[in-house]
Amino acid sequence: MAERSTLATMWARVQTWEGFLVCVLIFIVLMNTALSPQFLTLSNQINLFQLSIEKIIVALVMTFVIINAEIDLSVGSMMGLAACAFGFLFKAGVDPVLAIGITLLIGLAGGALNGVFIAYVGLPSLVVTLATLIGFRGLARVLVEDRGITDFPLWFDNLGQQGLIGPVPFALIAFFALCALLWVVLQRSGFGRKTYVIGTNREVAAFAGIDTARHKLILFTASGLVSAFAGLLYAARVGAVRGDVALGFELDIITMVLLGGVSIFGGSGTLVGTLLAILIVLNLRNGMALLNITGHIQTGVIGILLIASVLVPRLNVSTLFGAKKHEEGSA
Amino acid sequence: MTEPLLALDHVSKSFGSTHALTEMSLDLFPGEVHAIVGENGAGKSTMIKVMTGIHRPTEGRVLVDGEPRVISGSQAARELGIAAIYQEPMVFPDLDVAENIFIAETGGWLHDVGRQRREARALIERIGMNLDVERAASGLTLAEQQAVEIARALSQDVRVLIMDEPTASLSAHEAEQLRRIARQLAEDGVSVVYISHRLEEIFEVADRVTVIRDGEHISTRLIGETNTETMIAEMVGREVGNYFAKGESFARDEVILSVQDLSLDGVFENISFDLKRGEVLAFAGLIGARRTDVALALFGIHPATSGTVSYKGEPLAITSPKQAMDAGIAYVSEDRRKLGLAMPMAIRANISLATLSGFLSGLGLIDRPRELETAHRFRESLNIRTPDVETEVGMLSGGNQQKVMLAKWLNMEPDLLIFDEPTRGIDVGAKAEVHDLIRDFVRQGGAAIVISSDLPEVLAMGNRILVMREGEQMAILDHVDASQERIMALATGQIERERAA
Repeated sequence: MAERSTLATMWARVQTWEGFLVCVLIFIVLMNTALSPQFLTLSNQINLFQLSIEKIIVALVMTFVIINAEIDLSVGSMMGLAACAFGFLFKAGVDPVLAIGITLLIGLAGGALNGVFIAYVGLPSLVVTLATLIGFRGLARVLVEDRGITDFPLWFDNLGQQGLIGPVPFALIAFFALCALLWVVLQRSGFGRKTYVIGTNREVAAFAGIDTARHKLILFTASGLVSAFAGLLYAARVGAVRGDVALGFELDIITMVLLGGVSIFGGSGTLVGTLLAILIVLNLRNGMALLNITGHIQTGVIGILLIASVLVPRLNVSTLFGAKKHEEGSA
Repeated sequence: MTEPLLALDHVSKSFGSTHALTEMSLDLFPGEVHAIVGENGAGKSTMIKVMTGIHRPTEGRVLVDGEPRVISGSQAARELGIAAIYQEPMVFPDLDVAENIFIAETGGWLHDVGRQRREARALIERIGMNLDVERAASGLTLAEQQAVEIARALSQDVRVLIMDEPTASLSAHEAEQLRRIARQLAEDGVSVVYISHRLEEIFEVADRVTVIRDGEHISTRLIGETNTETMIAEMVGREVGNYFAKGESFARDEVILSVQDLSLDGVFENISFDLKRGEVLAFAGLIGARRTDVALALFGIHPATSGTVSYKGEPLAITSPKQAMDAGIAYVSEDRRKLGLAMPMAIRANISLATLSGFLSGLGLIDRPRELETAHRFRESLNIRTPDVETEVGMLSGGNQQKVMLAKWLNMEPDLLIFDEPTRGIDVGAKAEVHDLIRDFVRQGGAAIVISSDLPEVLAMGNRILVMREGEQMAILDHVDASQERIMALATGQIERERAA
């Protein structure tokens, strides 16, 4: 135990899922660098994040939801609803700053609606958020009908499209700030610990005096709020909204979280894993784009990656590496 | 002498550097019930897995009918007539009893239902059970489910039947039924391997008993040539002090909990008792007596519908666990896996679970050093045997898991601890330690309710014993007036209910 070489420690790290993801990421980055001279330029790196910035922000909160052994399928629709609500209010002559405030409140309320049905009525989150996936999207389409709404104030569009600090845009700063904040919450706070315990076994948490329903309500409300925020970022970045904004985004978001090693059954996974998975997906897509590989094939490759991410942990990463399997005589 | 049906000949099994079995030898003869006892982690499961082909021995031979055999898996074991049934039987709730018995019969897609039911009836009769084979398995008691499993094994011509702690979660009456089945099978020429933590039942059922410790064979004796003390000494390799000591009383004058006519509609009714500081009140009764439900009402999980609870002299209506905990009431659940511990999480995180808010800094962050220090302190004081407090709780033996669960609640510094089956499925060594911990707790002024289906435990721990039957309070006995016979008579309704003054 005491005599553990640094090499052995490193080897042990590589055998964790996060270690595995780091290796994959390094491989992809090296390949990209070798294949394309533009890859390592700052503008490409920023662009790489910007293209999926809304999804990756929501993926951070989704990590909490899935660790809690729940799922939120309504995030894409909430992003769409938020973007459309903002567009609708703006066109109706509401002050844009006030419109942003109202939109965020809609996110809060929509998330709380999910939360109440899941935590207090006791319905499965899969069902509740599937219903709101349809409901929020319907509402979004009612608000904007067949129109596309554009001509937002210049400062709003600039917020999404131009650098705020040097070339780094607001959304990217928001993403990394949220990353740091949520890492502390999940990995270091009492709230984070409860997220894991409830996800591992809700009954055990309840028998330890933890208010599990309140916890779930907070998580779903946060998920709605952050989704609405991401929807606003989308409107600013694209400079236009339509009824199909962020259609199907929930699947990409859940893919990133699962690829990050978060168990769909709850209780395990880390924010670092999700972040690594995000970087892998973004770099892979970017690298393939630089090589002129079409979007459909890109999606196919990401799909294969997801299947691998579900299968490989089942094979047990350590057996994969030929390590000794530890068995426990229980009687 | 007849030839052994199954024999292990100097079998060793290791996993990496861990030696689970070392040079284990064992002979199993037809017509005997052979008990195997040992502490948790002594190697009993590994031994079963070697016999049933799940593990291959690293060294040594397995002989069937005197011939060395390589058993390649549980299917191969079944074909040789070796089968095992476990504490938690595997039945399919939506199928009926007969279908469950013949579940492995997959030949053809047209089943002769009439024939199947006739044969099922014959098998059930053979083991002396009274069970309708057309009933759905979902309504069966645990003992009946086990009977179904045994019948299933019999239908496949079992010759060596391994029963792994079959009575661990059964009531006394059901356990007796199961032991009768084991005897019946032995008389029919089956070789029964019987693994149990309940030493007293081994004397009723077994012909021979083998003690194993740390993966090694310690002794095999005829049952008439050994006794409980010898067995325990051999199992733990040391003397265990007061396993059967009768509870001395540390009762003080202050009544901490006074319960009057507590009822939960359709579950239990009119439960009334007083509990003093320093006192242990044991709850005895059969499975289904609703003892746990009373505990859950006191802990706020399923609040009572009528009656009054007075706690530390003041009326208290408990409607949530949080409220009970704030008042100083802790409940140590009977079900470690489902209700007690977050199995994949570290020992450290489990110990701080019930008192998490006490470990938080102003910003809501967990004070890791203090959390770690607390875990180390309990590991020391409760003698939790683990290399590291970061170890997953699920990797520990039952006894050590129980101690982690105790640590979780002791850290709350409760005044009233409710223990639900505190020593179920844990070995004698750990059992004595848990009993000592409960005694220490009340000696220091705490009060305890101990729910137990283990009568020697009830008698050893309880200063007074509340006997329940089907949701009714039958009596409160002082421990000097209590005996196993008296408690059983009350619990089974042979004696009418007597109201304690």
